[in-house]
Amino acid sequence: MRLGIGISTYTEMCGLAPSRVVGSLRYGAGGWESASIRMLPTGKVEVVTGSSAHGQGHETAWSQIVADQLGIPFEDIRVLHGDTQVSPKGMDTYGSRSLAVGGMALVGACDKVVAKAKVIAAAMLEASADDLEFSAGKFSVRGDPDASKTIQEVALATFTAHALPDGVEPSLDSEATYDPDNFSFPHGTHLCATEVDTETGFVKIRSYVAVDDIGAVVNPLIVEGQVHGGLAQGIAQALYEEGVYDDDGNLVTTTLADYLLPSAADLPSYVTSRNETVASNRLGVKGVGEAGTIASTPAVVNSIVDALRPFGINDITMPCTPERVWRAIHNSNASDSNGGSA
Amino acid sequence: MIPAQFEYVRPSSLDEAVRALADGGDDAKVIAGGQSLLPLLRLRLAYPDLLVDVGGLDELCGVTDQGDSLLIGARTTHYHIVHDPMIAEHCGLLAQAAGTVADPAVRHRGTLGGSLAHADPAGDLPAVVLVLEATLVATGPNGRREIPAGEFFADYLTTTLSPGEILTGIRVPKLGKDWGYRYEKFHRTAQAWAIVGVAALARRSNGQVAEARVGLTNMGPVPVRAAAVEAAAAGADASAAALTAAAAAAADGTNPPADLHGQPDYRSHLARVLTGRALAAAAGV
Repeated sequence: MRLGIGISTYTEMCGLAPSRVVGSLRYGAGGWESASIRMLPTGKVEVVTGSSAHGQGHETAWSQIVADQLGIPFEDIRVLHGDTQVSPKGMDTYGSRSLAVGGMALVGACDKVVAKAKVIAAAMLEASADDLEFSAGKFSVRGDPDASKTIQEVALATFTAHALPDGVEPSLDSEATYDPDNFSFPHGTHLCATEVDTETGFVKIRSYVAVDDIGAVVNPLIVEGQVHGGLAQGIAQALYEEGVYDDDGNLVTTTLADYLLPSAADLPSYVTSRNETVASNRLGVKGVGEAGTIASTPAVVNSIVDALRPFGINDITMPCTPERVWRAIHNSNASDSNGGSA
Repeated sequence: MIPAQFEYVRPSSLDEAVRALADGGDDAKVIAGGQSLLPLLRLRLAYPDLLVDVGGLDELCGVTDQGDSLLIGARTTHYHIVHDPMIAEHCGLLAQAAGTVADPAVRHRGTLGGSLAHADPAGDLPAVVLVLEATLVATGPNGRREIPAGEFFADYLTTTLSPGEILTGIRVPKLGKDWGYRYEKFHRTAQAWAIVGVAALARRSNGQVAEARVGLTNMGPVPVRAAAVEAAAAGADASAAALTAAAAAAADGTNPPADLHGQPDYRSHLARVLTGRALAAAAGV
């Protein structure tokens, strides 16, 4: 049995992408993202996002952002996505872009709702819009805190339209797009300690530590889930997953008995931590979707190679299956000089 | 995928089940927990015309003490075997090995009899009943028959059961308290089949291994006893060095398969390493 420690650092380019930059790379589309908000007469809100989720928890995070920006209860927000009849505009979710680009589009859409509502609130309060401040879902006159209207009251007054100022439409709905000025750059360092059974080639991860800087965090639990899932995927690439074809080009890894995926029983308990240096966008966010997948594969393989250094082994083809690890040891000229067999 | 069409019966007595199976001929299959057969049906690697579900035959479940041996009903689940106090006391190897089968969901549905009758060379329990020198009890149109485990496994996924016979129970001789045991399973992920497995029993006496039995999983189309290892281990010192030396013959006479998880030479190497470890653990070294 030999122990090894692997380290990997990464800097990712996320928040895809400034449209001018992707245009210069002859990308077929822009890099912006869209969001729209429908403020209903009830004060509840429907959010339409172009960055469609497939399980990452956008519904939750997007509701948190809107709840913060508009000062309305989290449970009064419904996020709609995933059907072009509902959300026709959008570039979708990839490249850890949803929060850094789609989330910012949502902030822009919230700004427009607040700006429209402010004009109507000013009329309701018989004050100048310039004298109103908006905080925690409430428009109030500076210096006269009793004179205030909630955004829900404004929403109902907008719908009835009985006393709207001249030229104001009876709608608080908004649509916004966000085209980022720059990419975001999440980064981190991961450490992996493995035990290699030099007699069988079996690799066991003893501990795994991931420290990522993904900027400001909207929902820590979702971030933790993204990191854990990413680590599992990256570790699987290092140790398990492989599409194998025979000499005639037939795929032979056609079932999950042949194409191996790890389960919780095969993976360690992760130690995760974060630095939070905020990004330059208003949410301060960088993106987290791929952090775990990027750093973990090299961290694991580096730890195996570190364990096998006494054998003169500098590389093992991924995935590092027990048979490959054993053959690397078996074919090496060096002996286990530290005597650590079994 | 969806299985090919088949008829399905769920008899309420063993006689009825035997009749249904015999009437179905070569194209009838018994289904118990379904953990091996259902994947084969779904992948259309098997397409029987008739499934005889023995799930209604409760007399095939559970463990009874028969003096010198335990009779384990063929429908007894892996989960039950892992937790049964009589099995723990008299043939703990079976419980330990059953605990390595697949995952908890499979262990709750999969049965000992099903696992043996399926005769997958990568299955864990065939090698275990081999070294426990169990007897398999079957009932068919011509009555009841007892088959020594060593004569049960005929070939890849093939047993010596006749087409109309149903495996009803497994008789396992009780082992004395001087026997130690170990099932060493080598697999890449927790749920995966054994690339190689080694079932070892050792009786220790005065610092020596008086008697040893070693069975190998997935080192050929059927589970095999490593006779040369057993001979070398008998009378050997109960020491890691002596048992590792005895294990050097573990792959002798085997015919290990080649697949994505291991070439034959790697499997032979694993058999030697795992046999050394299993014997050492069984002998309490």
